[in-house]
Amino acid sequence: MCLDDQILNTYLDDELVEPWKTQVIEHLKYCSACSTRYEQLKAVHTMVSTSRLKDEQVDASKDKIYAYLENRYLKKEKKIKFLHRDFRVKTSAVIGVAAAFVLMFVGALTLNSPTLNEENVIIPQVVDSQGQGAMQVRATENLAASQVLSNLSLEEILSYLDQKGYEVDLKLKSVTVLGDDTGK
Amino acid sequence: MEIKSSENASFQKVYEQVFPVLMRVAYHVTYNMDVSEDIVQEAFIRFYEKNIDFKSLDEAKYWLIRVTKNLAINVVKRKSREKAMVDKIKKIPKTPVQNGEDVLLDSETKEMVRVAVEKLPEKLKSVLILKEYADLNYKQIGLVLKISESNVKVRIHRARKLMSSMIDRGEIHVSR
Ligand SMILES: [Zn+2]
Repeated sequence: MCLDDQILNTYLDDELVEPWKTQVIEHLKYCSACSTRYEQLKAVHTMVSTSRLKDEQVDASKDKIYAYLENRYLKKEKKIKFLHRDFRVKTSAVIGVAAAFVLMFVGALTLNSPTLNEENVIIPQVVDSQGQGAMQVRATENLAASQVLSNLSLEEILSYLDQKGYEVDLKLKSVTVLGDDTGK
Repeated sequence: MEIKSSENASFQKVYEQVFPVLMRVAYHVTYNMDVSEDIVQEAFIRFYEKNIDFKSLDEAKYWLIRVTKNLAINVVKRKSREKAMVDKIKKIPKTPVQNGEDVLLDSETKEMVRVAVEKLPEKLKSVLILKEYADLNYKQIGLVLKISESNVKVRIHRARKLMSSMIDRGEIHVSR
């Protein structure tokens, strides 16, 4: 009986156990149909596997990100909070109203709220409902954060943090047209 | 060896050993270096902040791979919804730095593989990426994805079958 592709794949990944492994090896010796299919599967595997991100690229990112983490986390005694904001703003006539995903890294953000859990990652959404620059915040994962943040605009948070001497790193991740996720 | 994710020594050790795998997982889900860097960075931030005790380095590794994979899949989902707008403003993708003569042939194959991988359904994609790019065995893939080993086996088979049919039919069009 001939071998199916799943067995051949399992053999290819060296996951086939005895006695089946030996049986497959023996079968492949005399059955050219199965050998051909095995070679095809192997070719696909090799093609996919060798298309991997190269070591040089991995290493460049590795050092860069480590430097960042070391600086922000490992070197400091104090825990650092970070805040993800998904906010919507009126941008230009070309782009129109857009949702922007913004990563905001903030040193020890608490906004004077004892209810904010140190361990929580806050992912609030700021919605500019009128497209006038007056932004509202709503947290998607954290009620306490939502309550604190809901009264503040992005500018207010930024100026608050600035006042307190925190370092804030804002990063625009993506921008998209509004529309489909208003019910979220 | 026990791993405490908020301890610098543990963190450094895990970072050193696991970073390449995470970067490849993120990259082959998103195919965007900038996005992948953000994802992996965030995975390590969560790792550090959650202050978890892991029984072994492997357990920490599986946790990180799982977080990275999920973050990456979510980015892709969001991106496909937002594609039109993102395309307008996103930075030009960084092309791989390569040396010399194998660039052309190499990049054609890679492009073909990328397009095919991107077309795989999510469940098959995850399994294939963990197999081909994270170098995990079936058992390890099962632990990361919380599925049985035999399920992994079936998905690997289906993923490769789809991959080879996409590559054979040449329905792949180069878009970058
Ligand atoms: Zn046969």
